[in-house]
Amino acid sequence: MFNDTVVKEIDDIKSRYPDRKSALLPSLYVAQREFGWLSSEAMESVARALNVPESVVRGTATFYAMFRHAPAGRHVIQLCTNVSCMILGAEQLVDFLKSKYGLTPGGTTEDGRFSLVIMECIGACGTAPAMLVDTDFHDNLSEKRIEEILEKYK
Amino acid sequence: MSKTVNLTIDGKKVQAPEGTNLIDAAESAGVHIPNLCYLKGMKGIGACRLCLIEVEGGKGPVVGCITKVKEGMVVKTVTDAIQDTRKFIIDLILSMHPLDCMTCTKAGACNLQQYAYDFEIKESSLTRKKFGYPIDEANPFIKRDPDYCILCARCVRVCREQGTNVLDFMGRGVGAKVVTAMDKPLQESECTFCGSCVDACPVNALLEADRWRKGREWDYTKAASVCMSCGNGCDIEVSLKDGGIVKINAGAEDGSVEKYICAIGRFGFEAGSSDARILAPMKRVKGELKETTWEDALTVTAEKLKAAGSKAGIISTASILNEDAVVLIKLASDVIKTKNADSSSSLYADANSLNSSDTVDLDSTDVIVLAGLNPSQWERVLPALDAGIRKRVSRGAKLITINSGETRISSAAAVSIQGDEASALAQIAKALLNQGAKSFKELESAVSSVSVSEDGEKAAELILKAENPAVFCSPSLFSAARNLSLLGTIKVIAVPAEANARGVVSMGLTTGGKTFQEMIKGGVDVLYAVGELPVTKKPDAGFLIAQTSYMTELAKEADIVLPAATFLESEGTITGYLGKDKEVRQVIIPAGVSKQHKDICIELSKAMGSAVKAPASAKGSVKAAKPSFSPFEKKAGLDADPAAIMESVNASVVNHSKLLWLKEAQKATA
Repeated sequence: MFNDTVVKEIDDIKSRYPDRKSALLPSLYVAQREFGWLSSEAMESVARALNVPESVVRGTATFYAMFRHAPAGRHVIQLCTNVSCMILGAEQLVDFLKSKYGLTPGGTTEDGRFSLVIMECIGACGTAPAMLVDTDFHDNLSEKRIEEILEKYK
Repeated sequence: MSKTVNLTIDGKKVQAPEGTNLIDAAESAGVHIPNLCYLKGMKGIGACRLCLIEVEGGKGPVVGCITKVKEGMVVKTVTDAIQDTRKFIIDLILSMHPLDCMTCTKAGACNLQQYAYDFEIKESSLTRKKFGYPIDEANPFIKRDPDYCILCARCVRVCREQGTNVLDFMGRGVGAKVVTAMDKPLQESECTFCGSCVDACPVNALLEADRWRKGREWDYTKAASVCMSCGNGCDIEVSLKDGGIVKINAGAEDGSVEKYICAIGRFGFEAGSSDARILAPMKRVKGELKETTWEDALTVTAEKLKAAGSKAGIISTASILNEDAVVLIKLASDVIKTKNADSSSSLYADANSLNSSDTVDLDSTDVIVLAGLNPSQWERVLPALDAGIRKRVSRGAKLITINSGETRISSAAAVSIQGDEASALAQIAKALLNQGAKSFKELESAVSSVSVSEDGEKAAELILKAENPAVFCSPSLFSAARNLSLLGTIKVIAVPAEANARGVVSMGLTTGGKTFQEMIKGGVDVLYAVGELPVTKKPDAGFLIAQTSYMTELAKEADIVLPAATFLESEGTITGYLGKDKEVRQVIIPAGVSKQHKDICIELSKAMGSAVKAPASAKGSVKAAKPSFSPFEKKAGLDADPAAIMESVNASVVNHSKLLWLKEAQKATA
């Protein structure tokens, strides 16, 4: 399932740790990056590449919230709704994403462009509300700013 | 030896070895610390929080399963604060657990039920949660009902520790669930249906599939015995009701890595009451086997054996008991007067390898060398050895595998040498000498020209650092492996394919005339075949007597069939592969008019006019091996495949119990 570049990347990850299990989380990240989410096949491939039991791979992948177990959109929006962001209107932004883009927490737009994940604090309380789009950080959010920002992600 | 620590638990003075956790230390003083997730022998995980205890001078309660004993420690296991916490934990768990103890099969054996009783909780004070998870019951062995699961992780941990690695958690928190790798039903996972998870489950989440309305724990009487299905001869605990077997569990001591039985040991007992059993003696009349009386069958057998005399031959399995073997030997030498008496162990082991093997405590081994053996839980070839070694590795021991072929267990090894086994052993011997092991002249000159690989050096390094290293090898490699004992205190065990090979051989059931192989190829006039034998082709004998429990292929060809009791219907002693004598107890009465092997032989000797006496009890003799050098060679002529032998001797059991389902399922998915 993995192409040669990914196999090499995972081999490189393996070489950085004294035992195979330690390479599990970074390898799962690689698999998620490659396929957008962790399908059963993707987890089986990780198990094979690391020679770690499939049960352990699945157990680990389902324990952590940052792994996805359903296909995601091309871009993943992670919006914080913790205390600071909430006070400064994050919940209205959730409503905005729903009315404007048809995005619900945990869901994906019909065109497969965006997925929305509600996340816990990203440490940007001073410039709340804040979100991540893929790995890019954006703060001081308003409905208008969100519209402008998302224009850049096709 | 580790130091002894003195402490006080609930006012009692307690002594415990350094490193002992407080649950075990308290148990040794007769104090039970409540717990739901602790498994003796394994590292505590502190998950259920029920074993909270107070240590004087400490800041707050600590968990007993993880906290180790310390000199002068003063421990209180029962205080008001702790009891309140424990009660709250049970309250929490009960809010997610069905309250149907009145019809629950596990009632009486359920730890949660016991603690709810102890803490006087009739019903949870919290909002009831019900998940309604589907039940995994598509296989005839194990029923998995996640709605009863309390997420203690015992099943996950036993499965992982023994290297089967089928179960794990999915998700976390209250929504967590124990699942197979991809949440498939058990039969589609790599599950071997050994049932270790069933033995570990404290509640009704994992259970034998057919237990519904077969009685509950208080309805059973229990009997300890030994499974005779393969070379591992595992301890079993049999639960009986109305004279029949309801279930079999692993019987070794809690905490021992030997506490394991495979699907054959756990579920094969059904075959004993199947229609494959021979219930009465039979005689061939006009080409067909017809039932007859013991008297008639024994008279015919006696006449035939008497006439043949020294041209008669006896072949026996090595799964008969020591007492059976003693009588059989006397029958051959004193009554029939033939030298041709041999056991099937001669197909894969020479007498020396079995007689000179050491006695080993598997639980204390810290470096294990596995040479020329390919034990596998999945193929059910010496499954308990595979699981036992993997458990030792999980508990910190190091494994060195040496095999000319690929083995699955090598993935658990610290050093894996693939190649000729005898020369790999020579390499390790040389490396041991290089690294300063005590020298032995003959050996030194024998390996002087051997060049040592990196793996050989690594293996030797591990062995030298070990306190209790042990070699488990195929009998053909025994004399080569034995050389390592010349260089240090290294125990060596030749692992046989059958449960009592060591006992049968130490009793003296080794041929003075024709061998097992020669006899089935037609070396004798009358062939007397005892037990379920690894013989697939019809033996070439003028007259064939089959003394067996099941209508085997061999029995179908026989002229006389004598019905024998199974091991669950027999009483006596065996000498296990680890060198320990074990008691085999008669747990049920023999089916039909079948009798234990020794009793048939005694009756037969009477019919022949000279009665043999039954031995009181026959303990195996494990001799201290004298150190002497043998060349690093694999012994020839012992190449019978252990996997084929085990398959052949267990064929009747597998084909006439629910194990057949497993065989068919595996064939379908292969």
